[in-house]
Amino acid sequence: MKNPKLSRRTLLRGLGALMALPVLEQMEPPVARAAQPGATPRRLAVFYVPCGLFMPNFTPGGSGRNWTLSPTLQPLAPVKNDVLVLSGLSHEPGRPDEFGHHAAGTGAFLSCVKVVKTDSQDGIRAGVSMDQLAARALRPYTRLPSLELGNDGGDGTGACDAHFSCAYARNISWAGPTSPRAKETNPRAVFDRLFSGFDPDATRAQIEKRKAYEQSILDFVNEDARALQQRLGTRDRRKLDEYFTSVRELELRVAALDQQGPTCSKGPRPERTEDVREKTKVMCDLMVLAFQCDLTRVATFMLGNARSDRVYDFLGLTSGHHTYSHHQHQPENHAALAKIDRWEMEQFSYLLQRMKSVQEGNATLLDNSLVYFGSEVADGNSHGHTDMPVVLAGRGGGAVTPGRHVRYGGEPIANLFISLLHSVGVEVSRFGDDGTGPLARLKE
Amino acid sequence: MSKQSPHGWRKVLAGSACVLLLAGCPSNELPKAKVLPPTQPQTEPPESGNPACQGPRDPGRVTLHRLNRAEYDNTVRDLLGDTTRPARDFPADDHGYGFDNNADVLSLGPLLMEKYSAAAEKLVEAAWPRMRTCSPDPADPRPCARLILERFARRAWRRPVTPAEVDRLLAFLPLARARGDGFDAGMKLALRAVLLSPHFLYRVELDPDPASPAPHPLNDHELASRLSYFLWSTLPDEALLAAADAGTLHDPGELERQVHRMLADPKAEALVDNFAGQWLYTRALDSFHPDPLLYPFDDSLREAMRQETRLVFREFLLGEHPVRNLLDADFTYVDDRLARHYSLPPPGTRQMTRVSLSEHPERAGLLGQGSILAVTSHPDRTSPVKRGLWVLEQLLCKAPPPPPPNVEGLPPPVDPRMGIKQRMAQHSSDPSCSGCHSMMDPIGYGLENFNPVGAWRQKEEVSGAPVDPSGELPGGLHFKDGVELRALLESDPELEHCIARHLLAYGLGRGPTSADACTLEDVASKAGAHGSKLSDLILSLIQSEAFTHRRGEAEGTNEEGSR
Repeated sequence: MKNPKLSRRTLLRGLGALMALPVLEQMEPPVARAAQPGATPRRLAVFYVPCGLFMPNFTPGGSGRNWTLSPTLQPLAPVKNDVLVLSGLSHEPGRPDEFGHHAAGTGAFLSCVKVVKTDSQDGIRAGVSMDQLAARALRPYTRLPSLELGNDGGDGTGACDAHFSCAYARNISWAGPTSPRAKETNPRAVFDRLFSGFDPDATRAQIEKRKAYEQSILDFVNEDARALQQRLGTRDRRKLDEYFTSVRELELRVAALDQQGPTCSKGPRPERTEDVREKTKVMCDLMVLAFQCDLTRVATFMLGNARSDRVYDFLGLTSGHHTYSHHQHQPENHAALAKIDRWEMEQFSYLLQRMKSVQEGNATLLDNSLVYFGSEVADGNSHGHTDMPVVLAGRGGGAVTPGRHVRYGGEPIANLFISLLHSVGVEVSRFGDDGTGPLARLKE
Repeated sequence: MSKQSPHGWRKVLAGSACVLLLAGCPSNELPKAKVLPPTQPQTEPPESGNPACQGPRDPGRVTLHRLNRAEYDNTVRDLLGDTTRPARDFPADDHGYGFDNNADVLSLGPLLMEKYSAAAEKLVEAAWPRMRTCSPDPADPRPCARLILERFARRAWRRPVTPAEVDRLLAFLPLARARGDGFDAGMKLALRAVLLSPHFLYRVELDPDPASPAPHPLNDHELASRLSYFLWSTLPDEALLAAADAGTLHDPGELERQVHRMLADPKAEALVDNFAGQWLYTRALDSFHPDPLLYPFDDSLREAMRQETRLVFREFLLGEHPVRNLLDADFTYVDDRLARHYSLPPPGTRQMTRVSLSEHPERAGLLGQGSILAVTSHPDRTSPVKRGLWVLEQLLCKAPPPPPPNVEGLPPPVDPRMGIKQRMAQHSSDPSCSGCHSMMDPIGYGLENFNPVGAWRQKEEVSGAPVDPSGELPGGLHFKDGVELRALLESDPELEHCIARHLLAYGLGRGPTSADACTLEDVASKAGAHGSKLSDLILSLIQSEAFTHRRGEAEGTNEEGSR
């Protein structure tokens, strides 16, 4: 384990990073600086599945500590005492005015801010997602502020969902209202990104030189962009703003080049694969590795994009997920969904078991983390935004008491996110459109 | 031809029929028709041109355009000889108006910038030995460096570079020297900076006054880039740059010469992949996985179908066929495998071979191609809805609104003996569905003789119900089968306007607006004078002011595509 003690210089650099945030992001409600509670790092992870879940098979029986796993939750048996099933929470900001529940629900999934309906990038407007609030506060501590992963990039035909921009359907992490954080969908590229630039044999002077060279290129292109900006109209200047923001992020990575490298074993470089079973597994492994090596403390994973119509042929299914999710109360469709939902839960369980297998002092990585599992809608047929399927796993270093099923009466998921942010030291009192305070009863 | 029916049944339909049909519907949640901007004005034009189109044309507003993944890969291929396609690992490009080269939706986030930086370093490492075309004088390496950098930056930035810009790049040499490194290290830094500069990553076009909506011609190098990214998805070649340097590109004759030259170049294959692949949806063929028990399918069939559409489209691009013949072309390309799949006589080879369809009229035209029939199907059954919608949107530019909540999709049949028309009858029994489905479904019925993988059938596979391919186009135009449907579509006056509209969205990388109606009218009628070949439509579009001109916009306005 890397020693989390920070040099004064690292801390200052972190503060500088916060101050350098682009104007748009500065306009958001101020976030208290995360004081890193305790000596062990706290992590936050998100596991997103598309198209909702078939709720009759999902919701467990009983409540409190006296509960039984539902058919869909069966794969969680090995970690039953590490999970908290939260029934009855609402996600109203994910509800669109009329059509496009999948894109709207996904765009608002982690921000709880209702997105603006548009199919032009110019008009997109979502909210800052909770993982990104955490990433911003935890950025000084790790090489990467956050890790955004997924299985599907997106194919290039047709519309994403009822003329909502594809940006909403493909991204759950949003650094700002107009800045989705694109996700990485190739495990091999994730691995390279986590470990690139680390040369264990590099001397101090060599590292300093590399930093100077990289920075000189960034200085050059920044100057190019500034000169260009003077000559552009309003809309083109807004486009170029993205360039400035991204160069600034790259500067932070360059500045962090001399940070201590990972002392953990990184293992073999994964192969390129398009098999969703393999890919999901490797992505989960990479998340665990990134946490274990303390390369980041925040990670999100999209098992599929919103409204995915993946054909799960290896489950013996012949039609697509989204098609089945409009089950129209047909038992055949319920059966197909039961298979898909259960497979999704097996993947989630795999991630949790891997996290549980990593020992950190007297606790496990899972104990020091909170992992949020959810989907953009509840039932896929009616596109529900109430009684959402929610599982929270881990202890967040003692922030929650797992091993229970808690039933709520329509409280907003935004309140759960406030609690999650508190667990990593981000002291917000409101969040999104409807978050008013931490969610009760997470701890016994 | 467009004069005889400037506002036929279809415009009325797109504007209101979907809603009109619902007028008696008790639901108060009427879907709103997504009214596309009219390709023609609402008023009857006089014989000699349309009064609404008398004035100068508005070229519209093109946003600063980031290279998309295909453009980046092709650009570094032609600039550096790189064939590794580094953009495969970049985040997926968003798409707008049906294409992934829409400048408004192409964003640049931190992850992509990181990828650009890593790609630039790799590319320069690999290409540097080949680029070192002079030996630097140890006393003064600058003349050699200047030669290399000036030439490289001109091609990479697709315009002449100023001495001051080269001077700035030269500054990397002393910077490297100060750290104990030599000429090569300094040059590599400079080359990486060229590839990370906004002048490389974006296609930059400037206005004399960015706040003025007055149109002005593009400069010749901007025009050269528009041409090469439209037709080739890559940077201009030496011949195009030379024409731009000479200042002759705005001459219509020179433009025409260049366009014909470029279409004949193998690089025009990009138009097949990137325009046709998205216009016709055939890119989605990669992710199409039909039910293996019902519809045997494999990668060699998939590849043959993909090739068929490419080859037919290419023949239309280069040949003499009027573009509307795409709907009933009496030839196609097959290999033995695809021929057997189509129940055609095999040509006796595993190579894709041009064959006549004069004896097989049911297979003629785009609507007989397996690629298109497959990507508009479900894995386990045909979808008259998807196929009808494809015809309306991609061929006629008339899109109905999306379905109301809670009624998407269709369950597998409760009674497997139920035929597709019986199942679709659910749509007409529900008033919130019937309005728009009465537009889509009956078009799709005309293609019911083709199963989800495009094989010919007389009976539905699961229900065993006999196929009834009769249906109707909106407005009560009945057809008895696919051949009649195709003939009706082929003679539809909107067809060329619609193709021109897709070409405009792709060629300019922006959504069509209502102000483009006159441009599209010009393009279609000008192309019509030459026989309305695909190349005529492309050339007319390129010669239009929308392509050769640009303008700024007043501060504070925020025009949107009108869709």
